[in-house]
Amino acid sequence: MKTLVACVLVFLLPGCALYDAYMQTGFDNNEYLLITQIRVDAQAYRRQCGNHLFAAANSQAIANKTDLFEKYSQRIPRNDQGYRASRSLNEIAQGLASSYADANQPPSAVFCRLKYTSIENSAAVIQTVVGDRPR
Amino acid sequence: MTLTHLQQQLADIAGQGTQPFAGFAQQINDIVAQAQAGEMTAAETTEILADAQRQLSILEDMSELRLKEQLNIILTGLITLAAAV
Repeated sequence: MKTLVACVLVFLLPGCALYDAYMQTGFDNNEYLLITQIRVDAQAYRRQCGNHLFAAANSQAIANKTDLFEKYSQRIPRNDQGYRASRSLNEIAQGLASSYADANQPPSAVFCRLKYTSIENSAAVIQTVVGDRPR
Repeated sequence: MTLTHLQQQLADIAGQGTQPFAGFAQQINDIVAQAQAGEMTAAETTEILADAQRQLSILEDMSELRLKEQLNIILTGLITLAAAV
């Protein structure tokens, strides 16, 4: 039976795909917690976009957290797609933080809300996949 | 290539109903409408549309990872079955 299963696997699947799938990164509590925090923060911060004082501080806070998530993902072995996604998410958040750099010209509330929507949606997509990792 | 033409293409994708891309196309059309209404500057609109491209990239990477996860579950099941015999 073992030989049969091994033969089926070898003939049905390309070697690299088989290896990648079997050796993929397992579930990581910290990674899952971080992406969940980013999602929850984005939801809460979106509601404060109308207040420029809060919004500027919030944008820095979310940018710090996505930066942490990117750097945490970077050194996880066999995590190329996860790292790329964390980098894209961080780029979205850094763009928001840098838009508040000039205190005399704060971004519009619509821009702020759309940014947090992008962060929240992306975090939800990543969270689903991170949560489904093999345990 | 006019804005109207691009908006129509987005509406076509949204109308096809294939998730998550239909919802995504609808969101982009909403963003364009908000920009046209003057609710955002040109620089803000450009940044938001660049974010949409980043979101697509995330979707692509996560779809690939999800397939790997499904494959991993099947492999683990097959190995368990093989070991039990």
